[in-house]
Amino acid sequence: MTEAERGKVESSGAGTATGAPVIEVEGLCKRYGDFEAVRDLSFSVGAGEVVGFLGPNGAGKTTTMRMLTGFVPATDGIVRIAGADIFSQGMEARRAIGYLPESPPLYPEMSPAGYVDFVARLKDVPRGERKDAVDRALDRCGLRDVCHREIRQLSKGYRQRVGLAQAIVHEPKVLVLDEPTVGLDPIQIREIRALIGDLAASGGHTILLSTHILAEVEAICQRVILLQRGRKVLDQPLSEATAGGASLEEVFARVMTREEIGSAAAGGAAA
Amino acid sequence: MKHVSTIASRELRSLFISPVAYVVLTLWSVIAGTFFLASLIGFQEQLIQLQQYQMLDRIQAMNLNDDLIEPFIGSMWVILLFLLPAITMGLISSEKANGTEELLLTSPISIWEIVFGKFLAGIGFVAVMTGIVAFFPAILFMYGEPEVGRTLSGLLALLLVSATYVSVGVFASSVTRNQLIAFVLTFVLLLIIGMMLPFLVEITMAGGGLGRESAVAETVRWMSTGSHVERMLKGLIDTADLVYFAVASGVFLLLSKTVIESARWR
Repeated sequence: MTEAERGKVESSGAGTATGAPVIEVEGLCKRYGDFEAVRDLSFSVGAGEVVGFLGPNGAGKTTTMRMLTGFVPATDGIVRIAGADIFSQGMEARRAIGYLPESPPLYPEMSPAGYVDFVARLKDVPRGERKDAVDRALDRCGLRDVCHREIRQLSKGYRQRVGLAQAIVHEPKVLVLDEPTVGLDPIQIREIRALIGDLAASGGHTILLSTHILAEVEAICQRVILLQRGRKVLDQPLSEATAGGASLEEVFARVMTREEIGSAAAGGAAA
Repeated sequence: MKHVSTIASRELRSLFISPVAYVVLTLWSVIAGTFFLASLIGFQEQLIQLQQYQMLDRIQAMNLNDDLIEPFIGSMWVILLFLLPAITMGLISSEKANGTEELLLTSPISIWEIVFGKFLAGIGFVAVMTGIVAFFPAILFMYGEPEVGRTLSGLLALLLVSATYVSVGVFASSVTRNQLIAFVLTFVLLLIIGMMLPFLVEITMAGGGLGRESAVAETVRWMSTGSHVERMLKGLIDTADLVYFAVASGVFLLLSKTVIESARWR
């Protein structure tokens, strides 16, 4: 990528932010020994935006999300959630985040109701509001009928919903969802997608969603960020990215090949 | 620290619906019953023998605390070494294996709260175990007159040593995501600090230049739980022993916290 293109990517990214940014990422890096999982990643997401986090497997999506949520400390760079630094003001920042990791963090022996209540306590939902918050989360995720069954008995789709319910129970400003539809059947995918769509439409939540299903991004997101080998290679509103009738798949393929050629050329030059 | 009870009560509830808890409690009860019965029969036979030989002064010296309750609680303490690791093995390792560690570490709670919560849940469980043991000496109060203070002191010793062992279990459970490894590690650590340290002193220092009475030997002996438990079983509640249990638990909990914290940086 040339410097000019890099500048264009960043300016178009910043242009889409509406209102004060709730997710601010500056110069984020993560190194595991010699391996750079994420390199110099910067972006910001405004309140109420729904952003699709795209990229092939191993591009650094999960690592980035883990750094955003404070699970893994960054090697370098700054993450601010709702104005609070994830490192130095961890408690405040974490209170503002709802996080659904790649595999939902469930206790199989608990019931959805008991589990979501436990998470509500962890996330500091005030005692007086806790019961309402739990009921609301269970209702929104369609878990009313199964809320007293054991989680281990539930289907994968329902477990994913329980994972979503725990992410939204404290009404977080930011929702970070790591591949929320992976491993589900087409009907379950539609249900989860509709659920995320509802959450997006209800406002209040800023959603960062990782996936490699492009149709999912087209269905839910307003903006895409494309990662490759730990670097940001595209950051555009969906309407701009697909302007001129190009499908997201074509855009994706074009950017990726350009990057491949670019890095090959850079490698050749260095050699 | 308000999340400690949240973590602890969830853990306790999960423990008490797991089959492991019931296997352990059943074994514990059966073994306690058997040992108690055996000690009771032994006590009775000794009494009959002494009566046959007309050794009145020895009969006078016999009492329920010295000859029944103390050895009974002492042997239950040994059984604890084998059963407790089964309870503590999953405390933190299962959070890692389940992926729920990611939930805990991205929630607005401190690692200390997680560690204390787990410790407290373990203490809740060993309190039930101590309660089961307490049931048997309680029977004696219906038929004889054991000393209340000494009996309670013995039970307190069992509870405190169990709590200390729970902290060892929390630590072993924090270093791995594999429950079996956590079990074995806890068992080995408990054997070492519970029983083997005094022997290690004898073996390594008796012939060497340091000698049995050196400061090092004394320190290693102090580190073993054995002597502290034995004194409390005799009814001697010494602040020094209480401090020992507090320090030992504190050290292992601090280690657990450090392990959990440093694992994130890898």
